[in-house]
Amino acid sequence: MLPIDEAAHSSRWRRRHPVDKAVLGLGLTVLAISLPPWPGAALVLVTALTTLLGPAAVPPRRLWRAYRVPLGFCATGALPLLVQVGGPGGFFGLAEHGPQHAAALLLRTSAASLGVLLFAFTTPMSDLLPRLVRAGVPAPVVDVALVTYRMSFLLLDSVRHIRAAQAARLGHTTRAATWRSLAGLGATAFVRAFDRASRLHQGLAGRGYDGTLRVLVPETRISPRFVTTSLALLAALVTLTLLLPYVLERLLP
Amino acid sequence: MSPVSQETGQGASTIHEVLERVCCAMHIAEGFLPPAHAVAWGVASAPFVVHGVRSLTREVREHPESTLLLGASGAFAFVLSALKIPSVTGSCSHPTGTGLGAILFRPPVMAVLGTITLLFQALLLAHGGLTTLGANVFSMAIVGPWAGYGIYRLLRRYDVSLMVAVFFAAFVADLSTYCVTSVQLALAFPDPGSGFLGALGKFGSIFAVTQIPLAVSEGLLTVLVMRLLVQSSKGELTRLGVFLTGRKTAAAAQTPSARTDAEEEANR
Repeated sequence: MLPIDEAAHSSRWRRRHPVDKAVLGLGLTVLAISLPPWPGAALVLVTALTTLLGPAAVPPRRLWRAYRVPLGFCATGALPLLVQVGGPGGFFGLAEHGPQHAAALLLRTSAASLGVLLFAFTTPMSDLLPRLVRAGVPAPVVDVALVTYRMSFLLLDSVRHIRAAQAARLGHTTRAATWRSLAGLGATAFVRAFDRASRLHQGLAGRGYDGTLRVLVPETRISPRFVTTSLALLAALVTLTLLLPYVLERLLP
Repeated sequence: MSPVSQETGQGASTIHEVLERVCCAMHIAEGFLPPAHAVAWGVASAPFVVHGVRSLTREVREHPESTLLLGASGAFAFVLSALKIPSVTGSCSHPTGTGLGAILFRPPVMAVLGTITLLFQALLLAHGGLTTLGANVFSMAIVGPWAGYGIYRLLRRYDVSLMVAVFFAAFVADLSTYCVTSVQLALAFPDPGSGFLGALGKFGSIFAVTQIPLAVSEGLLTVLVMRLLVQSSKGELTRLGVFLTGRKTAAAAQTPSARTDAEEEANR
């Protein structure tokens, strides 16, 4: 199981309905990209981080391991904003407001990522996928997604074992051997995936499979209190973002 | 990126470490695009995904066992993008897998499988994002597979050998994915001096340095994988509708006189 999904299964908010957590987590993400980066995204960032480490009780180490991935991309992606091509300063030079734009982008992306991480770290995929049918996603697509989700772990495990076996046979010592091993790995993954699918089908056919995968979904209810509190928090963030510049302007003339 | 041990050949001891190597450069991160762009790319992707969903639903209704095969295909696409390949420049990166996926499963199905994979990557690995899902789907699940498949069909129509067609399909699919990503970023962040074209040059040159060698590597790897698949899984490939013989060769094989000629040629 992947670390984010594993953390979601043992999360304090595991029994909450996914809609509760979507309103809060994805609401924060929407605010992060819609509000002005300063102070809007900064406020969203602080709120999301406090919620993740406080009420949601996500282990800080796990959060950092997941968070550093989008942070790395954001930092790389913000670099081109620092320079400009053409213009009066020559063919290549520093952009006039480059650092401000790069900082605003970093703030927006880091806040938006935390909003999604809040949802991902508290909602296991197995709780979310079956409920997508009610959200209007066709049942066959959800079934395919469920099989993909469950089979991915098994296939990744197989790939890990094949890699170990190839390495034990000196399959990664030379460049040619590495290419040969990689090709074998890809082809074996394909064969294993299709073999597993056909065996799974035989097993299900023996149990009266009619094309629908019926899975048990833990029964939970949407909490009006949680949703109302989340909406109030989001509204407070919007108000604070709009008011803060005026307040700061008066306090700091 | 963690180093690969020469003794064991294993840099990845856990599944997460394997997956952490999924190339993050090809995904536009969460919140990176302004809201209007995020919505616009979502709208642009929607017809292709809806078309894919319809063909997938039809396929599953006609053949219920397809659910499991398509799920397996999705898992294969997910795992394929986690493989680490040596790039021609000496560095390492990850294939997009869109070329091979498009040849094996066709672009409409790849649009759905790609969307599912990107959703998993956003929620399980924090690669990509939900607000940028539309943009990522457009580049990786739509343009990449369609461009790769288009080249593949074109070359097969002119009876180019299977492996050459597979190489160019994977090469073009990989490269077109990154070209579209560059355009998406350039549209969102035009250069203050030279506008869209300047920004396209900036983002394009960053990608070109790493992605052209990577596209060559992906093409080579796809050819090697396909060669093994042709040997070991001919039945599955035929069931998936992969054209193992070119159009002219197939037509020639169907003509009795041509078949006799071919047999004589083979006997000689």
